[in-house]
Amino acid sequence: MSNPILKVENLHVNFNTYAGTVQAIRDVSFDLNKGETLAIVGESGSGKSVTTKTLMGLNAKNALIPDNSRLIFKDRNLLDLKEEEWQSVRGNEIAMIFQDPMTSLDPTMRIGMQIAEPLMKHRKMKKVAALARALELMKGVGIPNAEEHINDYPHQWSGGMRQRAVIAIALAVDPEILIADEPTTALDVTIQAQILKLMKELQKDTGSSIIFITHDLGVVAGMANRVAVMYAGKIVEYGTVDEIFFNPQHPYTWGLLNSMPTTDTKVGSLVAIPGTPPDLLDPPTGDAFASRNEYALAIDLKEEPPFFRVSDTHYAATWLLDERAPKVTPPVQIQRRWERWREIQGQEAQS
Amino acid sequence: MWKYILKRLLLLIFTLFLVVTATFFLMQIMPGTPFTNPKLTPEAIAQLKSTYGLDLPLWQQYLNYLIGAAHGDFGISFQYQNQPVSMLIGQRLPISAQLGAQALVVGVIAGLFMGAASARNKNNKIDGTLGIISTLGISIPSFILGIILVYLFGFKWPLFPVSGWGDSFSQTILPTLALAMSPAAITTRFVRSEMIESLSSDYVQLAKAKGLSAKEVVNQHAYRNSMIPVLTLIGPMAAGLLTGSTLIEQIFSIPGIGQQFVLSIPSKDFPVIMGTTIVYSAMLMVMILITDILTAIIDPRVRLQ
Repeated sequence: MSNPILKVENLHVNFNTYAGTVQAIRDVSFDLNKGETLAIVGESGSGKSVTTKTLMGLNAKNALIPDNSRLIFKDRNLLDLKEEEWQSVRGNEIAMIFQDPMTSLDPTMRIGMQIAEPLMKHRKMKKVAALARALELMKGVGIPNAEEHINDYPHQWSGGMRQRAVIAIALAVDPEILIADEPTTALDVTIQAQILKLMKELQKDTGSSIIFITHDLGVVAGMANRVAVMYAGKIVEYGTVDEIFFNPQHPYTWGLLNSMPTTDTKVGSLVAIPGTPPDLLDPPTGDAFASRNEYALAIDLKEEPPFFRVSDTHYAATWLLDERAPKVTPPVQIQRRWERWREIQGQEAQS
Repeated sequence: MWKYILKRLLLLIFTLFLVVTATFFLMQIMPGTPFTNPKLTPEAIAQLKSTYGLDLPLWQQYLNYLIGAAHGDFGISFQYQNQPVSMLIGQRLPISAQLGAQALVVGVIAGLFMGAASARNKNNKIDGTLGIISTLGISIPSFILGIILVYLFGFKWPLFPVSGWGDSFSQTILPTLALAMSPAAITTRFVRSEMIESLSSDYVQLAKAKGLSAKEVVNQHAYRNSMIPVLTLIGPMAAGLLTGSTLIEQIFSIPGIGQQFVLSIPSKDFPVIMGTTIVYSAMLMVMILITDILTAIIDPRVRLQ
């Protein structure tokens, strides 16, 4: 599994604004392995979207990325690319699925043509050939009677169908990395499941790696191999999907898992993490989550926690894992998850 | 589509009927009479009135006018005896229309380029310079610019003729520029704001994510989308330009219809006032119809029915 196609190292992204410098991404590092799905989870403003925009080279002009930040893809640092070089990466080697299918298709261009566009750009295909391939792609993403609909305009389609078209655009040139920025957030729940299933099937066929951005842990469980939890511009915990779901260590991950409604959740008792994310114009010293964290230690306010190793694949940045830290009892629901984790571990040891 | 256009044309005729009616009765409220020459004896005035049918009861005058207008007969000018209004308009309108069309083409094309350049260079020097130019263009009246152009290119560096019409194309250049400035400036501002909105839209983000260059993004996606609202601006603008500009025609001594329209008001030349009003109204409505048709062609979400 350790065959990274993309290595993100010490990524910092700052934005100069009138109010000051917003530190949107504060030292993020992760690897993306070939063929895997990495979910990046976090609430609004945690830096998920800036991460994806940086990976596409589509940040706003006021973005500042320090020189020691590196995005290594195919033996080169993407951050060194000139705009023209980026254009041969974007939509070709790294493609993106956008959040809102209602607004991300050009309302004045026929859908077939919109799918054909990246083929004409990157594969230098002629219009007729590109449209023929677009038709195949439309069938591939499950558009019924694609022949009749290739000349439709976006407004003639439903949201779910449009998201299929957006996926077809992203897959048109077989990208090695697919970035999906909350691809199901704007869709009905029933359609969400269809789109997720489609993405999994397509990944199996194409073998591309997916970075799946979401704030919905429920979606992550069925999609991802590994999960990175982001908070205030940093990754606070990462591990395999089982490790994050059943052996979470960071109190923020606990909070996220507990805010996820389950079938046991009583009516009118949705759980939320108290407080709001910190202001990234002036991030707090120490652990950024400390002020919202009922398990915070004194040191959390002074010093930033490093990553503590939980297993070879699982790391969490919380002082609770330091050997000097007092043993805390996590919320009941998390204790139950830990029990389940021990069962899984036991079963694996037996077999 | 054709059914829709036919429906709109019928509506246009009905609207014109309302315009004719309103203008006809408003003119009756206007104080004074067309025959103010002190040399005219009461007998002569009575004679003139009967010649032009002004001695008939009002409702009959109105009916006569309607019947005449339906047959393309808009009466005879009071000022220029024996000149039918249709002939007067027929001679002068094409001159105004040519000047207006030239100004429209120059103004809109300049506006499209400057607006797009401004939007693509948002908040830098190019945008700032174009912003100043378009603000000046909107705030300087066209006759002032006309006079400046006459001074610069007719007097200081005599490159172009400064007056007249119909002898050479070069005569049309200065008035065209003077007339084109305001539409160019307005179009620039409008295209800029529409383009900025379009460039920040999700579909442009997606187009960039496809790997298209900035130029391809603008030409293949942003332009078409920002043109939709711009069209609604150009329609009425075209009607205004094609029906003549009084001041520009005055400055450059162009025998257009704009000049005629204004002159006919103080002299109470009712048939000419009526005729030019009808022409302007019809032009405006036709332009709005054309705008609607073009919008439906560019924007697939709009269906004419």
